[in-house]
Amino acid sequence: MIATGVRRVADVVSIGSGAEPAGRVSAGRLRLFAFIAIAGFMIAGPVAEQVFGVQSAWLRSWTMFSAIGMGVIDASFEIRQPDGALVPLDRFEMLGAPRNGRLKWIQNREELASVTRRLCAAAGQGADIRVRARQATRSGWQIIHTDAENACAD
Amino acid sequence: MPVPTDAAADWPGWRLMHAIAARFVGWAVETEGSSRSSALIRIGLAMLFWSRWSGELLLYMDQSPVGLFLAANFFVATTLLFVGYHSRVAAVWTGSVGLAMYYYFGFQLGREPWTHHHTYLLAVAALLVALTPCGRSYSLDRYLAVVRAERTGIAPPAERGNLWGLRLIVVQLSVLYFFAAFDKTSYAFLSGARIEAIFLWYYAGSDYPAGLAWPATIVSFGVVALEYSLAFGLPFRATRRYLLLPGLAFHAIIYLTLPVYTFSATMALLYLAYFDADEVDKVIARLQGIGFKEEIS
Repeated sequence: MIATGVRRVADVVSIGSGAEPAGRVSAGRLRLFAFIAIAGFMIAGPVAEQVFGVQSAWLRSWTMFSAIGMGVIDASFEIRQPDGALVPLDRFEMLGAPRNGRLKWIQNREELASVTRRLCAAAGQGADIRVRARQATRSGWQIIHTDAENACAD
Repeated sequence: MPVPTDAAADWPGWRLMHAIAARFVGWAVETEGSSRSSALIRIGLAMLFWSRWSGELLLYMDQSPVGLFLAANFFVATTLLFVGYHSRVAAVWTGSVGLAMYYYFGFQLGREPWTHHHTYLLAVAALLVALTPCGRSYSLDRYLAVVRAERTGIAPPAERGNLWGLRLIVVQLSVLYFFAAFDKTSYAFLSGARIEAIFLWYYAGSDYPAGLAWPATIVSFGVVALEYSLAFGLPFRATRRYLLLPGLAFHAIIYLTLPVYTFSATMALLYLAYFDADEVDKVIARLQGIGFKEEIS
């Protein structure tokens, strides 16, 4: 019985060419069942996670780079001039930081608040700095700070 | 009056479905052809395994028993796969090592980025190539078979076999493309927001470049359309001719712009599975001058 089972498995994984011997005509059908089973497993992974939301390390979904960039903050700063006009504020120049250094990426809300505090301190007392910022989420950009108020007054 | 089963058999739709099913079965599990494209994939996969992990698995990198055990298995299995000695067993061995790295070392032990899609794709590709006649060409298996045939005075075995493993690779690639596109079929991606976020993450930092919005939206629509097209178009000869270069260019751009490790190269290698194995054989023969000599003689 075990020998028969092993022969069946051998039939399925066989890549041999030529006609099947008499009595082993079902090898092609077994191979078809194996094909359907393997293809079914390939499809089951992404269907489970991407359609039904089932999370499992055992099932592979194909959501490449879907988490990359999540949380990144797009921020811009403006400072009010003595004549009342708002002009863009270069945070690197204001803080004397290299453009390719750590300040290039503002990673989260806490870091945004920290950068804003440093800019306010560098601009001096009574400075009016406006911050516009949004954060990347799975559903798109989410506004986390508007320029409606002076950020240095917080 | 015909009996119901005859009536069903005469229904044109049923006959059409039966013909399509028969054609699918013939394509999936009954096609035999040259083993050379399978062999090329086998060799390419071994090289991709080395390219991706050789440095990380050198014996001094992890000197724990389990680390050394993994490294030993990795190098022996991939070497056998590369030279083609007991090729299909070597492919199963290599694929199993890949899955162990993905599931145990990656998910259980938290070793990153071994949980990424490029690891899984390489492991699965190795397992699937085990279902092809990958050892019947360009291998030590082939050399030994030819030597045995010469010694016994018989013709060497044909470089042919059942290609159902290649068909499964085609299915895997189509599933991958379809669900990659499915994941992106949302407002968040099609609006360009996710491409913008990825661009900021890797390139621009927290300063949104002027003029990025429209290109990001156009690229997003293009990527989704291309991935759906690749999923459904690459398996068919009529559409493949228009999609092959866009598909390869797509992977080349991703390879140059994002840290995808061996993913792009693996996809490009597995494109061989789309082609008729005998056509690939003819191209190889032409490259070697065999077909040319026959034509002029």
